[in-house]
Amino acid sequence: MNSLNFINPFGVREEPGSVVGDFYTANFSRKARPDTIILNLGPQHPSTHGVLRVIVELDGEYVVRAEPILGYLHRMHEKMAEVKTPWQYIPNMGRVDYLHPLAWNWAYVGAAERLAGIEVPERAEYLRVISCELNRISSHLMWWGAFVMDLGGVTPILYAFEEREKINDILQIVSGSRLTMSYFRFGGVSSDIDDRFERLTREFIPYLRERLKMYKGLVTDNVILRRRLEGIGPMGLDLCQRYGATGPILRAAGLARDTRRDIPYGVYPKLDLAIPSGPSDDCFGRYLVRLGEIEASLSVVEQALDALPGGPVRIDKAPKANWKLPAGETYFAVEGARGQTCVHLVSDGGRTPYRLKLRAPGFSNLSLFAEAARGTLLADAIAILGSLDLVIPEVDR
Amino acid sequence: MFRAIIDNLKGLWSLLVGLSITGRFFLSPQRTTHYPRQVDDPECLASYRGPLELVPADDEGRSRCVSCQMCVKACPGHCLTVVKGDQGKAPKTYLYDFTLCCLCAACVESCPAGAIRFSHRVYLVATSREALHLDLLADLKSRAAKEAR
Repeated sequence: MNSLNFINPFGVREEPGSVVGDFYTANFSRKARPDTIILNLGPQHPSTHGVLRVIVELDGEYVVRAEPILGYLHRMHEKMAEVKTPWQYIPNMGRVDYLHPLAWNWAYVGAAERLAGIEVPERAEYLRVISCELNRISSHLMWWGAFVMDLGGVTPILYAFEEREKINDILQIVSGSRLTMSYFRFGGVSSDIDDRFERLTREFIPYLRERLKMYKGLVTDNVILRRRLEGIGPMGLDLCQRYGATGPILRAAGLARDTRRDIPYGVYPKLDLAIPSGPSDDCFGRYLVRLGEIEASLSVVEQALDALPGGPVRIDKAPKANWKLPAGETYFAVEGARGQTCVHLVSDGGRTPYRLKLRAPGFSNLSLFAEAARGTLLADAIAILGSLDLVIPEVDR
Repeated sequence: MFRAIIDNLKGLWSLLVGLSITGRFFLSPQRTTHYPRQVDDPECLASYRGPLELVPADDEGRSRCVSCQMCVKACPGHCLTVVKGDQGKAPKTYLYDFTLCCLCAACVESCPAGAIRFSHRVYLVATSREALHLDLLADLKSRAAKEAR
């Protein structure tokens, strides 16, 4: 029996050799076994967070093969960098990854500063650490709520949003926006913090620590969650390194690699940074690593607030809107909520950069999915997909 | 066997703990703001970025703008149109297309005269695209007239 000869959802028997579905489905089904079914997860599926599409071949309820299809949210951010001046491109970085925009913001601004040899005032470096870590916490909170919602628990995301709104209130004071923030500028940050920023942040740190205890009772210790996650989707160190996975996924596999410590930037070397690395490489290990990172980030924010020096937040003669990058090539890596976020910037000294390459951690992390999902139950594949913490705009760029 | 019973009892206990937390929050007061019955604290809106507005130079509704075109060049969305007037540096047209604006503040930060700023029109709504093509000079005049009254 030809593998293409199956009943399609509309009950019409396809003729052998005719193409069913679109290009991806047709090519995928050519390799399929005759006794399996092929299912499209997405692009509009509640558990694929945006417009990720995964084609899976199912034997009963077990996944035989899974293949992510990308590109539904491709917005040509790299090409846009070639037609916009460096200054005009800054707001784009907030749109690449809407959950941790400040990491991308930092990666781009840092690359341009490295190319131009700009020194950032120390106060601005501390402010960058504080805002970037607060943003990391909000990204992990959003992931936490969405992940538990994927597994069927709808309530926790509402708790997560309460905390997230508080962080948004804080970051709105300096960046002016609650999503797609852009706070860093060439040579510093756009504005200094005020008393309200400091008061809200200082109130927020003990508040979230209390809430994390509640999270443990409500979700982490919950028997249903643990049985859905423990031992599911192991991603060993070898798998992670073959696909170039970074961030919490690599750390859950037991390797405590973190750009903030390995390739230090900003004032991170001056701060005591705990890097949680997981007890296990399964979905639950990745869950614990991210919750551990929230606590670590809280401690970094606290230290940075205590050590915050005075002085300007932006250099004198900071680059203006018509600033041109000097000719040259540079690479700058920061640690985003999802892993190593890098910008490769090439300039020929013209009005706009010659080429910009964005290295999105989510793209490498998603590549693990096809291998990790093989042989699991479909419901577990959803848990694995959720545990990768994907932001599709960042994967597709 | 014995271990399985203990595990199940522990699991049952974890569910009870979770339910008690949910119950506690169920009885706690409302946390959301019910717009329009309630509105946010104005303090929270101090850094809110509404559509751009011109900063008045005096009470008669004149602008500080010197038509240097820095904002037009800085804008990534090409949403500003500034035309210099016939006499002096003051502009005769200052058009702003809010539908293209991404509120990035590139214009505000690059203005040498400090002539533009974000307004706090939080509850702005429009029923057509044309209603969001704003004439900022006319807006400045009408605000000055309102203040004079």
